[in-house]
Amino acid sequence: MTPVSAGIEDLAAAQFARAEQMLRRASKVLTTKAQIAQTPKQQIWALNKTKLYRYIPVVPAEQRHPVPLLLVFALMNRPSILDLRPGHSFVEFMVSRGYDVYLLDWGAPGTEDRNLKFDDYGLDYLPRAIRKMKSVSGSSEFSMLGWCIGAILATLYAAVRPDDGLRNLLLLTAPLDFSKKENITFARWTDERYFDVDKTLAMFGNMPAEMIEYGAKALKPVENYVGNYVRLWDNLENPKIVESWHAMNTWVTDNIPMSGAAFRQLIVDLYRNNRLMNGTWVVRGERVDVSRIKANLMTVIAANDHITPSCQSETLQDKVSSEDKELFRIRGGHIGIMAGSDAARSTWPHIDAWLDKRSGKAGAVTV
Amino acid sequence: MSESNNDGKPFDPFEAWRGMRNVGMDAWAKTMTEAVNSDEYAKASGAMMDAYLTASIPLREVLEKAMAQALQQMNMPTRADFISLAERLTQVEMSLDDMDAKLEAIAKRPAEPAAAKPAPTKAAPAKARRKEAKKQ
Repeated sequence: MTPVSAGIEDLAAAQFARAEQMLRRASKVLTTKAQIAQTPKQQIWALNKTKLYRYIPVVPAEQRHPVPLLLVFALMNRPSILDLRPGHSFVEFMVSRGYDVYLLDWGAPGTEDRNLKFDDYGLDYLPRAIRKMKSVSGSSEFSMLGWCIGAILATLYAAVRPDDGLRNLLLLTAPLDFSKKENITFARWTDERYFDVDKTLAMFGNMPAEMIEYGAKALKPVENYVGNYVRLWDNLENPKIVESWHAMNTWVTDNIPMSGAAFRQLIVDLYRNNRLMNGTWVVRGERVDVSRIKANLMTVIAANDHITPSCQSETLQDKVSSEDKELFRIRGGHIGIMAGSDAARSTWPHIDAWLDKRSGKAGAVTV
Repeated sequence: MSESNNDGKPFDPFEAWRGMRNVGMDAWAKTMTEAVNSDEYAKASGAMMDAYLTASIPLREVLEKAMAQALQQMNMPTRADFISLAERLTQVEMSLDDMDAKLEAIAKRPAEPAAAKPAPTKAAPAKARRKEAKKQ
């Protein structure tokens, strides 16, 4: 064997060994679930499928912010994205920064929950959970962070119950204004000319998780169905990226259905008729008037958000009565701004800095 | 055998191919994103969904009816029974939650000052007692 052919053989063997190792790693990542949502917590309340958790504080009581923080995520995804993995978790970060953090997990609706509407979630479940949180924390005031559909619920609550102790309202990638339909792909897909929401719900009862997942992924089909896996393959030799990909994939593939009645409201009242921003949305007989919102407000917009384009979030600022309000625009996507690799350096510290000044004892707001 | 390039990374014979692939994928992604964000796509996907639902709903209804009848024949609870039960359970949970709220409110209420003791009644004078006894 000549030295040249031996060299080629060695190179080929090395490449095969490398490929085999990569295949093993890919197989593991694609067929197993990562350990996510690991920050220690305690369930303090439950109603139907909804649960309220309190994260175990790590900062002594006298050093903690007296105003607790409630996290409200979307109805059709697990809230574990807020606590993705140890070392890269928004919840873990906020707990370490001295916040008393509570998480509302809506749970997965069953057929029996197909009639649950935003009315029920926003004016029944949410106020009850807030009552419990106030009771446990001993604080009559609180901060609320709503993300995606959770931001609609937080806005609804803030508008209908403005005197219920909500001091700080944070809205992340909030789909609130549906007037610029040409910029919103979901609005195009769910237009009444093309999509029969009643027929769909007559078939399924609740909106199936698979259809919601398809909808979210089909907005960027190549990136989600091909690019995502190519990125994994390219980085299989980088354990940090693989770990991060695994955790995110575990969350992305664990979707839950959305209650049929709430989904219908989302499509008919919001996507088609923009009732929230028009001031014609009525829940439980009460008009949702966003001008009644008076809590300190921070709206976070993801500049590259293809699910909730910025035009859906930015107009709220001009309609609320809040004197203290901020619009924070950050580079990143719908989920990336909170769970991406840059989140710990950009979004989280900004939220902490904003809340820190506004979570002291009543009357001690230092802005 | 391994070679290194100037960056110290191991030699990768597929690097050039990967670069070309990425360029192609970017173009493909842009085209597809534009395609799905069109009225034509919305119309086509809506029509497919509608065709599926039109075909499936009657079949589903027949199946559900047959299943409910079969379960009733066997004295077994149907899906509707379970749904009704689950809905009632949620109502019970809500009532319990209301009671929990009321109990907490009572527990947090500041303790009321101890009820004033009735003023000790003076013992009737002995003369009056005797008069009363005579009457009886």
